[in-house]
Amino acid sequence: MNDVAIIGTGQTKFSKEEVSVEKSLFESSNKCIQSISNCSSKDIDGVLVSTNNNSKYMGAILSEVLDIQPRITHSIEHLCSSGTNAIISAYSYISSGLVDVVLVSGVDSATNPGQILEWDSSRGNFEHPIYWASMLTKAHKRKFQTSEEELAIISAKNHKHAIDNPHAYSNEPKTITEIMNSKQITDDLRIMDCSRSCSGSSSVLLASEKSAKEFSDNPIWISGIGQKTTSASFTKNDLGEIKSTHVAADSAYKMANILPNDIDVAEVHDAFSVCELMAISELGITSGEKSGEFVRNLFNTEDRMINPRGGLIGAGHPLGATGISQTIEITNQLQGKSEKRQINNAKIGLIHNMSAAGTSSSVMVMKN
Amino acid sequence: MTFFDEQLKKGSFQICHCNNCDQNLWPPKEICHICNEETEWSESMNVGKIIEFSKKDSSYFGIIELKEKIRVMGEIFSNDEPKIGQSVTMKAFFDTRPHYSFTVKNN
Repeated sequence: MNDVAIIGTGQTKFSKEEVSVEKSLFESSNKCIQSISNCSSKDIDGVLVSTNNNSKYMGAILSEVLDIQPRITHSIEHLCSSGTNAIISAYSYISSGLVDVVLVSGVDSATNPGQILEWDSSRGNFEHPIYWASMLTKAHKRKFQTSEEELAIISAKNHKHAIDNPHAYSNEPKTITEIMNSKQITDDLRIMDCSRSCSGSSSVLLASEKSAKEFSDNPIWISGIGQKTTSASFTKNDLGEIKSTHVAADSAYKMANILPNDIDVAEVHDAFSVCELMAISELGITSGEKSGEFVRNLFNTEDRMINPRGGLIGAGHPLGATGISQTIEITNQLQGKSEKRQINNAKIGLIHNMSAAGTSSSVMVMKN
Repeated sequence: MTFFDEQLKKGSFQICHCNNCDQNLWPPKEICHICNEETEWSESMNVGKIIEFSKKDSSYFGIIELKEKIRVMGEIFSNDEPKIGQSVTMKAFFDTRPHYSFTVKNN
């Protein structure tokens, strides 16, 4: 099996404006290819597009626009974790030797149709994500006595981090009080607990070991991968856990030969505040009981270990691009290029991306 | 439209059961995924218990586990705050998508 690295990155600014997916996709792809000075379209032999948009044949369209005639191209859709799953697919293609250099581009617009899983009839007419998020939040409060303030700290922290992320949707600080007084959506959820669907695109270039060393002085290696799907229906799962994350993380740690306490920096899927608490405990970074205290401590000490780019709550959530943006952040962190967001001496990074109330999770471990 | 949805349109929540494997199946399906036998259908007892709940505006909603061990989400009608494990009765229908509503017993 070939080793696989991320060698190039490019992204657009995330915004609430409705932007054509083609325009965003081409912008981030071009930036990504241009980020590697000695790499051009002719060096790319795979193109994968991650999106929930209903546009057809996007892999071939993107390839033609970029003047690439790839050996392998197609689109990938897996709701909110489409992005990491496209990267995992690219990894597999390169690792197996089918292709050598793959462009992975993710995109969605603010009104993308991936926000609601119509198929899940167990949700009845409570199909919007705010309802499953309310159930998980209520269950977390019940199990761990999680307070409104602990939930608000997650949003305050991630909004604060996003200020230093030039691609983030939000660049405004929010105080804990502002968040706790923001619009009540349900008894267990406020508007500032929610990530926002938005327009945006992100791209990465993956390469085999040989090409990575040819094109980059600073490749970042994908050393562990895990994906687990427990169901598509939300109601089947135990509300007290996100089992898919736990299992995916175990696989990724085993493959990378690391333990959770080896992680220096992590991007986790905070679709809603409670998801960050559940993610860090399922990933083994802390326990469920201590997750609120853990995040409070990060916030108070200005430690950016979790979600340095602002997470989904601060940076926005253009579904197909999210997992790729998370991967770009960890790549930049491990390259020491995150400027104000930089974690000192980061050597091992983690990406956690999930779909549909945590029914499916993808975890990647990266090393420099 | 599936048989399940058609029946739901008539107000009947049908439980999909494989006689060969002796288990209820969700999501509902015409053929059992284990033994490939045709599945059987029978109307739910329309009773269950509250697994979790919250409130939006003045209405409660939550996840209910039906007696047949299938879990669905819907509105909960209750004069007082519902309780975990509380027994409910279900009404179901279908317009553009399924709707389930639950009334707390002895409300």
